[in-house]
Amino acid sequence: MAIHNLNRFLQSYFTAHHCHVANQNGVLKIQLTEEMDRALMNRPFYWHYVKKMGKNGDPMQLTLITNQDNTEEKGERIHFGSPRLQQIVNHLKENEQFTKLFEVVHAVRNTALQPWLVTNIKLSYIGKRNKDEIFSLGLNLVNGQMKTDMMDFLNAKDLQMQISDYCYTITPIIKPHSGFRRILTVIDQYIQDQDHQWAAESIEELKQEVDLLKHFYQGDRDEDVEQMEKELQDIKERYQPKIQFSVVNGGIFYLTGN
Amino acid sequence: MHNIDILQETNFIDKLVEKLELDGPFSSWELFKMAYDAELTTITKDFNGLRALEFLPQMEFLPHQIETAKQAIEEMNGRAILADEVGLGKTIEAGLILKEYMIRGLVKKVLIIVPASLVNQWVKELNEKFFIPAAAHRKNYAWDQYDIIVTSIDTAKRSPHREAILDINYDFILIDEAHKLKNHKTKNYAFVRALKKKYCLLLTATPVQNQLIEIFNLVSILKPGHLGSYESFLEQYGRDRKKINQDVYLKQLVQKVMVRNTRKDTDLNNAKRHIDTVWIDFTPEELQAYNELDHMVQPFSTFSKITFLRELCSSREACFLSLQKFASEENQHNQEYLQPILDKIGQLPHHAKAKKVVELIQNIGEEKVIIFTEYRASQFYLQWYLQQHGISSVPFRGGFKPGKKDWMKQLFKDKAQVLIATEAGGEGINLQFCNHMINYDLPWNPMRLEQRIGRIHRYGQEKDVHIHNFAIRGTLEEHIMKLLYEKIALFEQVIGHLDDILAELNINSFESEVKSIMNESSSTGEVKIKLDNLASIIHSTHQNTEQEENQYGNP
Repeated sequence: MAIHNLNRFLQSYFTAHHCHVANQNGVLKIQLTEEMDRALMNRPFYWHYVKKMGKNGDPMQLTLITNQDNTEEKGERIHFGSPRLQQIVNHLKENEQFTKLFEVVHAVRNTALQPWLVTNIKLSYIGKRNKDEIFSLGLNLVNGQMKTDMMDFLNAKDLQMQISDYCYTITPIIKPHSGFRRILTVIDQYIQDQDHQWAAESIEELKQEVDLLKHFYQGDRDEDVEQMEKELQDIKERYQPKIQFSVVNGGIFYLTGN
Repeated sequence: MHNIDILQETNFIDKLVEKLELDGPFSSWELFKMAYDAELTTITKDFNGLRALEFLPQMEFLPHQIETAKQAIEEMNGRAILADEVGLGKTIEAGLILKEYMIRGLVKKVLIIVPASLVNQWVKELNEKFFIPAAAHRKNYAWDQYDIIVTSIDTAKRSPHREAILDINYDFILIDEAHKLKNHKTKNYAFVRALKKKYCLLLTATPVQNQLIEIFNLVSILKPGHLGSYESFLEQYGRDRKKINQDVYLKQLVQKVMVRNTRKDTDLNNAKRHIDTVWIDFTPEELQAYNELDHMVQPFSTFSKITFLRELCSSREACFLSLQKFASEENQHNQEYLQPILDKIGQLPHHAKAKKVVELIQNIGEEKVIIFTEYRASQFYLQWYLQQHGISSVPFRGGFKPGKKDWMKQLFKDKAQVLIATEAGGEGINLQFCNHMINYDLPWNPMRLEQRIGRIHRYGQEKDVHIHNFAIRGTLEEHIMKLLYEKIALFEQVIGHLDDILAELNINSFESEVKSIMNESSSTGEVKIKLDNLASIIHSTHQNTEQEENQYGNP
C-alpha cells in the first residue's frame, strides 16, 4: 500500500533501524545510530576522522515534523516529496532489495514450508506521456503455481527471518533462474496483449516534432547541421516509446501449504 | 505492436541467487515491505493525472490551475512558459508542478529565481501551501547545502554565487517575471541560458510583448537549439509579430511550450468587480491655482508642467515639493518667478480628493480599504489626514525591505483599516482579504491599473470587489478618465490584450505615448482629439487581436 500516514511510516523506519524515537504531536525526535547517521546526515569526513582517532563518534539527533500545523517546534518539516523523504525512500530502495523470509508457524508437529519466488516488478511506459505499473508476482518453486498481488497475500501473514520450531523447508524443484524466466514470460505476454495507444501517440508526436525542427533549420548553414542532428537525437530519445522493466525487490519466501 | 523498445533488467535474479548462496544479508519483512510501499508512493500511476492532489487535501485548486499543471507535466515534459493573466495563480500552478515532480522523486535540487521583493512571499507560499521546504538564500550560505533555494537574479548572477550556481546540476529551475529575459543580449539572459537544468518553468503574464524574436529567446531557454540559430530565425521571420498566426509551425511550437489562461476562460469571475468613477470638484481656490499653473508658459517645458499639474491633482504637498525643488535647482530668476504660485499652493485648504476619501471610507464602514497613489508626498499627507479623522492606516512602498513589507501587510490585516500604497509598493502583494480599492490617482497606463486591481481581485477573493477611481473635473485627470478608461471600456475586455495591441501598433509604452500627446499639443482641444484617436485605434486593433488570441496559447 502506498504510504499515507507519514508519521507512522517514519516511526517504523527508524525503529526498524534500531533508532530510539520519541514521537509526540507529529514531532519525531530521533536518536540516530552510527549506521543511520552515515546513511542520512552526509558527513563522511566526520566519521572518517573519528574512526581514525579510534573513537566511537557521536551520532546526531534528528527532529522531523510531520504535523504541518505545528509551527512552534524547531526541526525539519517533512512531507511527501521533501528532500529528506526522498533520501529515506532512496535508502530503502537501495538497501531493501533482497530477502529470505519464513512464515511464523506455531507448530507442535513437523510442518513443511514451500519455497516461493516473490518479485515486485515495475513496468515504466516511457513516451510522450509516462506511466508506471507495479506487479507483485509469486511463483511456487515446487508446483509452479503463480499468484498475482503477492504482497497483499503476504501482508496477511506473520513473517520472520528465522524458521519456526518444528518446521522444515522443501527443496525447490524449479531453480530460481528458471522461475524468474517464467515470470518474465508472463510479463512479456501481458505487454504483448495491450493495444499501446500511448506508443502510437508518442510516435505521432515524434514525427510532428521532427517536422517542426526541420522547418526551423531549413536553409541553414553547415555549422547548424550538427546542432540539428543533436536536436533530432534528443527528440528521438524522448519520444521513441520504451517500456522499462525493473525489479523493485524480491526474494524467497517459505510459506505453509494452505 | 508499435515498434516499442523494451529494456529489461536481468541481474536481479543473479544477485538474489548469489545472496542465497552466501545466506544474506537479507532485509527484514518490515523494511522490505516499506521499500515496496515507498515505490507505490512515488510511481506515476497513470498517463493522466496528478499525484500531488492526494497529498495536499487542504488545498482548493481551481480547475484551470490543475489543468495547467497537467499540461505542463504531461504534454510539455516540464519545460513550459506559464503565461496566465495577472491574478489567476501562476504561483499556485508552479508550486503544484514542483510538488508533483518532487513526489515522483524526479526533482530534488531546485533553484527559484524571482524579483527580490517577492523572495519571502515565494518561500512562504511554497512552505505553507505545498509543504515544500524552500528557503531564501542568505549570505554565507553554500548553494549546494540546501536543496530548494529562492533568490533574486541580481544575487544569483553575482560572483561568487554565479560560479557556484553554474556548477550545480539542477533538477528544476523556475523563473518568475520571465519577460525580463526577452533580450538575448543581456547578462541576465546569458546567465539563465547557462544554468544546467532538467525541468524549467518560465512565468510571465506578457510573453510576447513587442517582437517575435522574444519568443525565440524564451523558447531557447527551454529548448536550446530547437529553433535553429538566432540569425536564421530572424531572417525567416523578421520582427513581425503577426507571423505568429500565419506560420503554422510557429503556432504549433508556441502551443507546445506555452499555457495561457485568461480571466475570460476561467471560473474566477465568481467575485465580481464593481468599478465606479468618483468625480470630484476642486474648490475655487484649488481650481484657481491649477489654472494659474496651467497657463504659465515659463520657465519649464510642457512636459514638466504636466507633471506639476498631475501632482496638484493629487495633493498640494506633492506639487509644492517638486515645484520648490525645481525652483531652487534652476537659476535665481525662477525662484522669484515661481514664488507667488508656490505661496498660493502653500495656502490651499485641504485637498478635495482627500476629503472625498474620508467621506467614502466612512460610508464603507468597517471593511478594509487599499488606496493607491502615485506620489509619496500624497501618501504621507493622506496618512496624516486620515489619522485626523480617526481612521487608522499603514503605508506601503516599493523601497521597504521585504521584512517590513510583510510586517505592514500583517498590520493591515490585523489592525489598520487602510493601506496606502505607492505604485511600486503594489507589485506582487496579495491582499485577498481586502475588497475595496481607491485609485486616488489614475495611472496613465491602463495595464498598471489592472495590476493594481489584481492585488485584491485574484484567486482567493471571496467577496465582490469595489474599485473607486478618483478624477477631478476640469483637469487633465478628466481627459485621462473619459478618454482612456471610460470610452474604450478598457476594464472589461481590452486590458488583457493591451500588451498585444500596443505591440501591434508599435507603441512601446502607453504611458510615454500619452505623455508625448500631452507634450506636443498646444491646447486642451488638441489633447482631446489626439487621445480620442488613440482610443479608437486601440479599439479597432483589439477586435483583430482578440481573434488571434484564440489561436495561440491554449488549444
